[in-house]
Amino acid sequence: MKIKVLAFAAFGGILGREREVELEEEASVKDLLDELASIVPGFREAAFEPSGILRDYVLLMVNRKRIDPERDLSRILVEGDELAIFPPLAGG
Amino acid sequence: MIEIGEEEISLDRMIQRVRRNEAGAVVSFLGTVRDDGILGMEVEAFRDPALSEMEAIRQEAMSRFSLTAAEVSHRTGRLAVGESILAIVCSAAHREEAFSGCRYILEELKARAPLWKKEISSDSGGHWVEGHGR
Repeated sequence: MKIKVLAFAAFGGILGREREVELEEEASVKDLLDELASIVPGFREAAFEPSGILRDYVLLMVNRKRIDPERDLSRILVEGDELAIFPPLAGG
Repeated sequence: MIEIGEEEISLDRMIQRVRRNEAGAVVSFLGTVRDDGILGMEVEAFRDPALSEMEAIRQEAMSRFSLTAAEVSHRTGRLAVGESILAIVCSAAHREEAFSGCRYILEELKARAPLWKKEISSDSGGHWVEGHGR
């Protein structure tokens, strides 16, 4: 299945503003992040602690709704879902 | 009205749109690019979620502070030192509500709207401003 990934601010510089990632059916948000870490140079270091835990400044939305990285990384994605990745907000 | 765009902000037009006969106060805030030894700033938005969040914040402010009207305009793209980034205009029957509503929209927008700023400098090219928003 194909999942659209949008990335903003510093993550946009690493991942590109928009890309599509091909995943196995029933892949989770964590599977998608792991796939990005394996195919995009620099993303693993930017997004994960050396221990493998997601860094606390990584914020996520699925289909434009915020998800909790502590609880929702196991959420199963479906064809056409959109994941947005960005750092803490800094507008105004 | 809630706006996100690259065009210059017209504070005058925003003020005209929030004026009401029942409002005795209009408070405006204009955020501008400060010269911190930078060439300018680049502002990026996750546009649709940002518009939704800004509208939610505007409605919260309208209700909490009994505003008669409120408008928010946030610019995106490359901005030079001194240019406007953000304008908020609130009208209310009395000044306290108008000041409080304007301040509320500003602080909540900084914390909640998916927008980011990159400082452009001649030596490093640019670096993203560290956000504190959730």
